[in-house]
Amino acid sequence: MVGKIIHEHDVLVVGGGLAGLRAAVEAHDNGADAAVVSKVYPLRSHSVAAQGGINAALGNNPGSKDDSWEKHAFDTVKGSAYLADQDAVEALCREAPASVIELEHWGTVFSRDNEGKLAQRPFGGAGVPRTCYAADRTGHNLLNTLFEQASSRGIKFYNEHFVTSLVVNNNKCAGCITIDIQTGELHGFSSKSLILATGGYGRIYERSTNSLINTADGHALAYRCGAALKDMEFVQFHPTTLYGSNILITEGARGEGAHLINSEGERFMFKYAPEAKELAPRDIVARSIMEEIEKGLGYEGEYVYLDLRPLGAEKIKEHLPGIRQIARDFANLDPVEELIPVQPGQHYSMGGINVNIDGETNIEGLLAAGECACVSVHGANRLGGNSLLETLVFGKKAGKRAGSNDRESVRLSNVKNVLDREQERLETIFSGKGENTAALMKEMKKTVYGKFGIFRNEEKMHEGLNNLYRLQKRYSGAGLNHRGKKYNQALLKFLELGYMLEIAEAVAVSALERKESRGSHYRADFPNRDDDSYLKHTIFIKDHKNRPSITFSPVRSGLFPVKERDY
Amino acid sequence: MIIRISRGAGDKYDEYNVKVSQEMTVLDILFHIQGNIDETLAFRYSCRGAVCGSCAILINGMPLLACKTPVSRIDELNNVYEVFLPKEGKVPEDGMLLEPIPKLPVLKDLVVDWEPFFEHFRKLELELKEYSNPPEKEYLLGKDQVRELEKYSNCISCALCWSACPMVGDVEGYPGPAALAKLYRFYLDPREPGNVGRLYFANRDFGWWACDFYTNCRKVCPKGVPPNIAIGKAQNQLKNEEDKK
Ligand SMILES: Cc1cc2nc3c(=O)[nH]c(=O)nc-3n(C[C@H](O)[C@H](O)[C@H](O)COP(=O)(O)OP(=O)(O)OC[C@H]3O[C@@H](n4cnc5c(N)ncnc54)[C@H](O)[C@@H]3O)c2cc1C
Ligand code: SF4
Ligand code: FES
Repeated sequence: MVGKIIHEHDVLVVGGGLAGLRAAVEAHDNGADAAVVSKVYPLRSHSVAAQGGINAALGNNPGSKDDSWEKHAFDTVKGSAYLADQDAVEALCREAPASVIELEHWGTVFSRDNEGKLAQRPFGGAGVPRTCYAADRTGHNLLNTLFEQASSRGIKFYNEHFVTSLVVNNNKCAGCITIDIQTGELHGFSSKSLILATGGYGRIYERSTNSLINTADGHALAYRCGAALKDMEFVQFHPTTLYGSNILITEGARGEGAHLINSEGERFMFKYAPEAKELAPRDIVARSIMEEIEKGLGYEGEYVYLDLRPLGAEKIKEHLPGIRQIARDFANLDPVEELIPVQPGQHYSMGGINVNIDGETNIEGLLAAGECACVSVHGANRLGGNSLLETLVFGKKAGKRAGSNDRESVRLSNVKNVLDREQERLETIFSGKGENTAALMKEMKKTVYGKFGIFRNEEKMHEGLNNLYRLQKRYSGAGLNHRGKKYNQALLKFLELGYMLEIAEAVAVSALERKESRGSHYRADFPNRDDDSYLKHTIFIKDHKNRPSITFSPVRSGLFPVKERDY
Repeated sequence: MIIRISRGAGDKYDEYNVKVSQEMTVLDILFHIQGNIDETLAFRYSCRGAVCGSCAILINGMPLLACKTPVSRIDELNNVYEVFLPKEGKVPEDGMLLEPIPKLPVLKDLVVDWEPFFEHFRKLELELKEYSNPPEKEYLLGKDQVRELEKYSNCISCALCWSACPMVGDVEGYPGPAALAKLYRFYLDPREPGNVGRLYFANRDFGWWACDFYTNCRKVCPKGVPPNIAIGKAQNQLKNEEDKK
C-alpha cells in the first residue's frame, strides 16, 4: 500500500441503516463532527426492506383510544417472555410517540386515517392497534427521510467502505480500519467515539428474510476486541416468508385479516392460539406452522398457505401493495385471487452487543445501536414494529452520548499500528491456499439452520457446534486466489464468512447453555420456561485467556411481575 | 446457457456456460458464476427483493433489476423494451448478455459509479424543509395527498431511469428523471413552507425544460414511479405561475 490514509472525526458511525443515520444526525446536532462509514450506500441498507410498521402508543385508532406507553411496555415485556430489561422497555415505549412524530415532521410519508392522522394497524402480540406504517414500505420511507436529513446536514459519508477491524487498546476504542471497496486501499479512522450500527446476524442461517449483507460484521468486530455479546441464542423466525426465496410477507397481512391455511383447508391457528389466532406472537405462530408441516399437513412437506382473499381487492391494493408486487414478481401469482405459499424463516436477531441504555459497551468509546445491539428491549422474542422503533430511540441516545463525549482524541499512532497489522493480515490471506468460500458458507448456513433452528435439542446442537468448529478450522487455513484491488468481492465474502463463523459459534454455545424454552428459543428436551434458573441474560465474552466463555447477568425488572404467557 | 458479461472498460466480455432453470433470477445466475466459476466477477446486490435499488443492470440491453428478473420473463420483456433500446447484436444465441447500466462511469464489470446520479439529490436539496414551529403532533394529511406523494416517494433510487433517459448525458447538468420526480414530491408536500418555490429549483433549460417526454423513465421504473408526469405537471404549474405575474 502506498501512503496511509487516516481520517479523523469526533464520532464515527459504522452503518448507514436507520440506527446509524439516526445516531449520526443526533451526534451532529449535539455539535460533534460525525461521519458515517458503510459497506453499502446507505439507501441499500437492510432497513430499507422493513415493511409492516413502527409502534407508538399514539391512540389514533378507534380501537386504541386509551392506549398508553405502559400498555405498550406491558405487551413488549410479555412478548419478550419477561427477558427484556424493563427500564430499557420503558425508555423505548415512552419515547416512541415523539420519535415517530419527529420522523413525520422530517418528511416520512406515513399512511393516514380518515381524520388525516397517522393510521395504526394491529400487529402480533399487541393488545391494540398501535403500529404506524407507510403502506407496507415503512423502512423504505423512514430510511429515505433519515438519509435526506443526514445529507442536508452535510454529514460526511464514506460509502462502500468495509470495516475490517476496530482499533482497541487497553479497553479503549480509538477508531477502525476499512477497505475502500472501490479502490481496494486500506483506510484508518480515528474517532473519540465509535458507534456500531451494523444490523443483524441473520445470514448465518439458510432461509432468511434478511438482506444478503447482514453478516454479523459488527458483532464479530466488537467481540474480537473484548466486547460482550448478550442473549445470542434468541433468533426470531418469522412465520410467513415466501416459499423459495424467503422474502418476507409482512405480519401486517395477518394484521389486516389474512388467514393461515393447511393442506386440509383448515384455519389451523384456532388450535394453537384460540384467542389471538393468526396474531399470536411470532414464535408461537412459527412453531404452529412447523408443527402442521411436520404432521404432514403442509404442502410438499414444505409450506402452508397465506390467504389474503378475505381482505378483498380494495384493501390489498391500498394497504399491501408491496406484498402484492412481491407475490407477482417472486411467486408469479396475484394474492387478490390466489393463495401465497409461505414457510417460517430466520428474521431477526434479538441478541447482540451488550449495551446500556445510552448505547455504551464495556469498552470505552465503543457504542452500539439498532439490531446489532442488545439493550435489551426484545428479550426472548421481539414484537413486530418494535425494532424500527428501537433504531430511532436508541440510535438517538447513542448519538447523543457519543456527541457529548469529550474524551481526549485518541492517539493516532494506535490507528497507524493497526493499519499496518491489517495490511499484513491481508497479505497472509492472499498467500494462503484457495478454499471455496461459497461452499464453506453454504455448509455453515445449513448447519446453523438445521441445528439451531425453530426446534432445538442438546444432541442436534452438539453436532452443530462440532461442525462449526470443523468449518472454523478449514476457514483458518484458507486463503484467497483473487488478489484484485478494485471491488474484490471475493475478499469481502471471505471476511464476512470469518465474522459469521465466529458469531455462529456464539449463537450455538449460548443456545446450548440455556436449558429451557423461552420465546424464540425452543428446546424439545426442555420444553418449559424455567424462571428459577434462567430468568437471566446469557453473556458470551472472551475470558482473560482470550477464549470464548459464558456468564450470566440479571434481568432488570420492576414494572411488571413475571407471569405465564397465554395468547 | 451462455452468459456473456461485460468486464469493464473497452470491449471486453467473458462468457460463462451455466446451467440455468426458468425460476432462477439473473441475480441468482450472477451469484452462481461468482461462487463457482469466476470469483473476480463484480456486481452489486443487497436485498434480493427489489427494494434496495442495488442491482440495476442491462439484461440483453434492457435496463432491469437483476434480482427481480427471472429467466422465464426475459423473452416477454424483449417485446416491451424493444422500442427504445439499442441492441448491438452481442446477445449470444440462446444466451444472455449482461452489461452495466450506461451513463455512469464503470468501476468494475457490472458496478457503476453512482455519484453523478446522487449528486443532484444534494444540489436540489431533496429533503423536507421544516417549519420553524411544527405542530405538537403529526401534520394532518388527506389520504389523497398521501397517495400523490407515495407515487413519487416509492422511488428506490436504482438509477434505471437515469440510464434510459435520452436527455441524461445529452443535456449538460440535467438532474435526470428520479431527482426531478423527488423534487416534485417536495413541491407537493404540504408540510414544507413556501414550497411553490421548489419548482424554481429546476426552472432552467437543463432542468424541467430539458425533458422531451420520451417517457422511457416510466417504462423502465421497477416501482411504477412516473417522473414524466411529475415533470409535465411542474412545467404546467410554472407556466401558470408566470401567467399570474
Ligand atoms: C424483511 C424485513 C422486514 C422488517 N420489517 C420490520 C417492520 O415492519 N417493523 C420493524 O419494527 N422491524 C422490521 N424489521 C426489522 C428491522 O428492519 C431491522 O431491525 C432494522 O432495520 C435494523 O436497522 P439497523 O440500522 O440496526 O441495521 P441495518 O439497516 O441492517 O444497517 C446496517 C448497516 O451497517 C453497515 N455495515 C454492516 N457491516 C459493515 C461493515 N463491515 N463495514 C461497514 N459497514 C457495515 C451496512 O452497510 C448497513 O448500512 C424487518 C426486518 C426484515 C428482515
Ligand atoms: S424513478 Fe424508478 S427507475 Fe428512476 S431511480 Fe426511482 S425507482 Fe429507479
Ligand atoms: S438486490 Fe435490492 S433491488 Fe435488487
